[in-house]
Amino acid sequence: MKNSFDEKILEEANDWIKTNQKVVLATVIQTWGSSPRPTGSRMIVNEKGDFSGSVSGGCVESAVVRECVGIIKENKPFKKIEFKVSNESAWEVGLACGGEIAVYLEQIN
Amino acid sequence: MQLKTLKEIIKKKENKSEFAIITNLVTGNSEIFEKGKSLGKDFEKFTDQINSFYKLKKNGVIEDTDIFLENYIRPIKVIVVGAVHIAQYLVNFASSLNFEISVIDPRGYFATEQRFPNMKIINKWPDEAFKEIETDSNSALIALTHDPKIDDPALQHAIKKKFYYIGALGSKKTHENRCERLKKSGFSDEQINQIHGPIGIKLGGRAAPEIALSIIAQLVAETYKK
Repeated sequence: MKNSFDEKILEEANDWIKTNQKVVLATVIQTWGSSPRPTGSRMIVNEKGDFSGSVSGGCVESAVVRECVGIIKENKPFKKIEFKVSNESAWEVGLACGGEIAVYLEQIN
Repeated sequence: MQLKTLKEIIKKKENKSEFAIITNLVTGNSEIFEKGKSLGKDFEKFTDQINSFYKLKKNGVIEDTDIFLENYIRPIKVIVVGAVHIAQYLVNFASSLNFEISVIDPRGYFATEQRFPNMKIINKWPDEAFKEIETDSNSALIALTHDPKIDDPALQHAIKKKFYYIGALGSKKTHENRCERLKKSGFSDEQINQIHGPIGIKLGGRAAPEIALSIIAQLVAETYKK
């Protein structure tokens, strides 16, 4: 829906932190063309690569998880990543739908 | 994002107050924005842009800046009249769709805490109950009792307050009778035609969860037409 009071991803992030997990928040900040999820969509990732929520229809989540684990390891506070249209090679990460998205990753500290 | 900011956001969400989260994509700092609030040093030079983007009630990176803004808009109020079986399923569907539901039913044996846990239940007749709920053209009504004594006053209230969605359960015949009664009470055809009756989109099923799904589907469709 248009509003997001009931999306519980931030609450979940807080619960993860309470149990001493490191949490990176990934947010879709821009979209171009037909993107699977709208701006503001979120997922959270911990240092082990466990995740909740989504930033696409499953197309780029694996790459986002890798990047999130990466910034925890390198102790970077934030990072912006972009995903473009994938070609047809089966295992490449990209958006088969033809859209582009920018995702902002930030550690909660 | 700082943990302190995250906790503040969660609290604001619980209070259902409108706000936005603003993030400076260059410095990585974020804070809560509310109408009229003065901004921190990472944001103050974009005060005008932030204020005008906030009014659009959209999420996005503000043009010509590196500020990302996410708006939290108050949930839509949905008033369900009749704490019947269908209502129990409606409440479940609605909770994941960000509608704020209140259930009205003067019949105490229907509207119990046990049947509707964690739900705002008003055990009063609609005329009395609506004194407790602030409603406007951003509200929706789902009338489920098909008892004129209970449904009709609620429908009349919703029409007068120009609810964007009004639906009433009942067969075609029940609905015809309902329209007749409203006409006799002085409502115009245009006003009466705003009622979705029989309620819901045609899915085919008649089980309580199926009817609830058909109602919620219609409500979502009408919400996006607003």
